[in-house]
Amino acid sequence: MNLSIKWVVAILLTIFSICLVFVLNDEGPLRILFNLLTFAGIYGLAAIGLNVHFGLTGLLNFGHASFMGVGAYVTLLLIPHAAGREGEITESGLPFLLALLIGVISASLFGLLLGLPAIRLRGDYLAIVTIAAAEIFRLLVRDLESITGGVYGIINFSDSLQRYRPLFLENFVSKYELNPSQVWVGLLSWISILFVLLILRRLSNSPWGRALRAVREDEDAVRALGKNAVWLKLQSFMLGAGIAGLAGVFLAFNYGSLQTTTFVPLLTFYVWAIMILGGVGSLSGPIFGSIIFWVIISETDKLASLIFENANGQQLAGVRFVLVGLLIMLLMIFRPSGLLGKKEELLLNVK
Amino acid sequence: MSNSLIRVHNLKKSFGGVKAVDIEDLNFQSKELTSIIGPNGAGKTTLFDLISGFQDEDNGEIFYKDKNITKSQPYKIARLGMVRTFQLTKVFDRMTVLENLMFAGSNISNDSLLQSIMQLSNQKKYEDSLKEEAIKVMEDLNIEQMSSSYARELSGGQKKLLELGRSIIKKPDVLLLDEPLAGVNPKLAEDLLEIIQNLSNQGITILMVEHNIEAVMKISERVVVLAEGALIADGQPQEVRENQKVIEAYLGTGDE
Amino acid sequence: MIDQLGNGLLLGIIISVASVALSLLYGVTRIVNFAHGEIIALGAIVTLFFSGPVDSRVLFLERFSPLGMSFITSAIIAIILCGVFGGLLELLLFRPLRKAEVGNIAVLVVTIGLSIFIRHLYLLFATGRVQNFPLELERRETYLFFEMTPRNFKVLIAGLIVMIIIGLFLTFTRIGKAMRAVRDSGELASVSGINSDNIILFTWISSSMLAGLAGIFQAIINDVRYNMGFLILLLIFAGTVLGGIGTSFGAMVGGLLIGIFVQVSVALPFMEGHTEAKNAVALAIMILILLFRPQGIFGQKERIS
Repeated sequence: MNLSIKWVVAILLTIFSICLVFVLNDEGPLRILFNLLTFAGIYGLAAIGLNVHFGLTGLLNFGHASFMGVGAYVTLLLIPHAAGREGEITESGLPFLLALLIGVISASLFGLLLGLPAIRLRGDYLAIVTIAAAEIFRLLVRDLESITGGVYGIINFSDSLQRYRPLFLENFVSKYELNPSQVWVGLLSWISILFVLLILRRLSNSPWGRALRAVREDEDAVRALGKNAVWLKLQSFMLGAGIAGLAGVFLAFNYGSLQTTTFVPLLTFYVWAIMILGGVGSLSGPIFGSIIFWVIISETDKLASLIFENANGQQLAGVRFVLVGLLIMLLMIFRPSGLLGKKEELLLNVK
Repeated sequence: MSNSLIRVHNLKKSFGGVKAVDIEDLNFQSKELTSIIGPNGAGKTTLFDLISGFQDEDNGEIFYKDKNITKSQPYKIARLGMVRTFQLTKVFDRMTVLENLMFAGSNISNDSLLQSIMQLSNQKKYEDSLKEEAIKVMEDLNIEQMSSSYARELSGGQKKLLELGRSIIKKPDVLLLDEPLAGVNPKLAEDLLEIIQNLSNQGITILMVEHNIEAVMKISERVVVLAEGALIADGQPQEVRENQKVIEAYLGTGDE
Repeated sequence: MIDQLGNGLLLGIIISVASVALSLLYGVTRIVNFAHGEIIALGAIVTLFFSGPVDSRVLFLERFSPLGMSFITSAIIAIILCGVFGGLLELLLFRPLRKAEVGNIAVLVVTIGLSIFIRHLYLLFATGRVQNFPLELERRETYLFFEMTPRNFKVLIAGLIVMIIIGLFLTFTRIGKAMRAVRDSGELASVSGINSDNIILFTWISSSMLAGLAGIFQAIINDVRYNMGFLILLLIFAGTVLGGIGTSFGAMVGGLLIGIFVQVSVALPFMEGHTEAKNAVALAIMILILLFRPQGIFGQKERIS
């Protein structure tokens, strides 16, 4: 069956990529691998959210980074943290889980806010509006220094999450000289992915999931059959945004600090590349796409050092993005269904 | 006249200076099977669009079951029991025939996200009953063998059947059929016509835009003729056929 | 506020020219070209390379020496090269995609990938720093109500002249009318004997040349950066939306207005201390327009939703 071949290829490629990490790195491959897997988990989660937008509902959302940002900022500002140059310390705050919940819901609401004007628009206009909105978000974040800490960002918040780190993890981590905080965040992201996928799997075979796919196919017909296409799209927008918000929180905890430059539009393109690679419309696609993507990214940093002796930060980033751009182009042209996407279900035309 | 199911009053719509629809009064009675005919560009589809809410009128009012639906949104009108099909079929290409029908058949509130999450355990029962309904409709329309095919693999005629099936499964009070026989081979057209006749016999009000005059004559109880947006004839099939104005309107465009 | 008006006009003229270019391309090919910004940047970068002082090694990994040619000559060469670039994009990338009937969303995503790709190639191999054209510093003078340097004033006039020429071209020449025909209805156009492939190629070339020109303007008024195109891309979208998608005249007017709004907004009370966010104002305007009057000022009610 065709389905199995795709899965076998995806799994093999993923395993191959992981092996590549060991082959190409003499020093501390395990550390690199876990670093990579953490990013893969975070971005994979974000890509799953984007897949709800684009894969399931056909919405061209290029402002995904802003959903991640809203989730992160709201959550962090509600727990003990320090912001800004003077290191304005907020000692007290809400319990972590509550703050997280509020953060994710805020991301969803931001999705609703964005969705309201955007949802009536045709595909390409929606793309422009979402980019514009993400840009507005970035500018606001940069300018509202008193809240976001401006150039200095927000720090000293990690403890709220790290204090829940289980003991078995400590033992495991010290044995292999890994970074415990990071492994904890990574573990949580992957567990989240598992949960979210379980729920989404149920949903996509439900009346709601069918309704979203119908909206993706033909909104007029959906309306003619008595369903509110706009509200359906908004719900999808909110769901994907909430998932992205969760990913954003994990990203912030992974870095340990939240800069105004963390959630920039370029981040959205990483998520897009991962989603396309994994397979648009495939629920578990982002898992494989994310791991392979991050192996590529981290190994090409080596490539950068080859081309530019002593590559500086700007050049490393440059090489990464050249590859991301190339990847997106090549995938869309030659293999738009990615690893696990269904070719018959590709949405390639704006209606 | 307040027992007319659908009432159209003073309805006007223009596109860039060209009058598409200009009708002073037009009513449709419950359980009637009315065909709407007229040369190309006469405004028939526009009339459907206006009634079903897919286009905004420049002027005028539309009443359905005595409710003013002039400014109502299409999905709300559909929920009131008026379902329409489209001239160019709008089947959900990348969903199977079964899924197309199950989507149409599912109750509004069951489509909500919250419900879907909460009903995760009862979902199976609901889905099964939906599936049964869908299969019944497929059997009535003779397309049950295409059940797991993607809609886009269907032939033109089969797509028409599917679109009709989606409308039927909603148990509508009114069906607006926009050229249901267009591009369909004669044998299938006959079958379709029989199905439409049956639906009418079951008490569903039917408005049908059609170019196939033979079909129109065969099953319509009433025929309405539009030309250049205006009403030029309205009555029983035979009288309309012999109406001078109608003949001229068609001759003028070289039609049948 | 008056001084901002001058700045606004300058920003506006850049956006105008770029908007017309984008609008023409969209009108004829129905492609929203996100890589448009990179062609704009190309104009500036190539001009800098040709006109930069010899041996100053400001570009291209400091390996190649700029050619030190006259500025005008460099600009002309740059514009031509941009046209060539656009033509190559069409011939090598977009035409094959079109023939393979790849859908517009896929093409849109391809242009996004393309823009990321090219822009970061610029970053790596052209210039990672902010550069300036080798032009003398000038003092600002007063022209009517506005204060600006003589050179900038010439840019403004040049831009206006270019727009008038475009307007005349589209209205009165055969090719111009053919472009409008393909835009208004592609299939009918090919039936009436217009070769849409050639028209599309021509549109790519001319749109790219205009974009290059806009980039040169931008570099004169501001500076040369690897991401200069990306920075104003959103403003270009805003200008096109404001003026009306599908009308070049709309793009011109919309572009000017957006430029003015952006700069003038700096003077508004609530913007105190937040001048960097002036772009946000323009973007917010764009979103509002798409909400309430999606056809913009001059556009026709196209199917926006």
